[in-house]
Amino acid sequence: MIMIKSIVRPDKVDNVLAALMEAGFPAVTKLSVVGRGKQRGIKIGEITYDEIPKELLLTVVQDQDKDYVIKTVIEAARTGVKGAYGDGKIFVSPVEEVYTISSGIREMSSGEVEEVTI
Amino acid sequence: MKEVMAIVRLNMMNKTKKALSDAGISSMTARDALGRGKGLVDRSLLEGAEKGYEEAIAQLGHSQRLIPKRLIFVVLPDNLVDTAVKTIIKVNRTGKSGDGKIFVTPVMDSVSVRTGEFGTAVLDEI
Repeated sequence: MIMIKSIVRPDKVDNVLAALMEAGFPAVTKLSVVGRGKQRGIKIGEITYDEIPKELLLTVVQDQDKDYVIKTVIEAARTGVKGAYGDGKIFVSPVEEVYTISSGIREMSSGEVEEVTI
Repeated sequence: MKEVMAIVRLNMMNKTKKALSDAGISSMTARDALGRGKGLVDRSLLEGAEKGYEEAIAQLGHSQRLIPKRLIFVVLPDNLVDTAVKTIIKVNRTGKSGDGKIFVTPVMDSVSVRTGEFGTAVLDEI
């Protein structure tokens, strides 16, 4: 399984969440973060803003859905057709095990599903 | 070395912290998060959206409110992962949807800023 961490503009979050819901991936966790990118923040006059507010979306999906979800997020988070600086980044990292607390079911990256005995 | 990310209910946070420290896992990071799971999807809306009804599609995007949760990060040596996961499940389980999820991801290395140590020496030892 794979965790997709997308950093997007706060005003594009609703757009991305709706797109993910329509694509069939309702489960998302959202965190507010601040950060800067390759452009070293925004310089307006004398002042540089290098803590720009963004939203971090965490989605865990099956390996084969990775490309589709990434495409969905990119389409929904981009400004205009060509995109602009500050639209965000997407990071992909592996997840070995997923547990659902309410049922105690464990899903492994190999595809095994079993109930955990406590 | 593994990172355990657990998403739990707000009101379970104190119990979870206590249970983890009783199990010998004292270090953790937590933060506020908002989220939604797969449990709350309205079937009739989904079916309507699949058939292409504009109203159903519009509601899908907005009807799902994001629910406040707490996100816990713990980095652990491999042998403690099982204990941590079981402790969290035991404390947080009510059997209803919304209890949360636990993700286990690999961690390449960890460094202590104060001492400059690398690897598992940085982490909790029982």
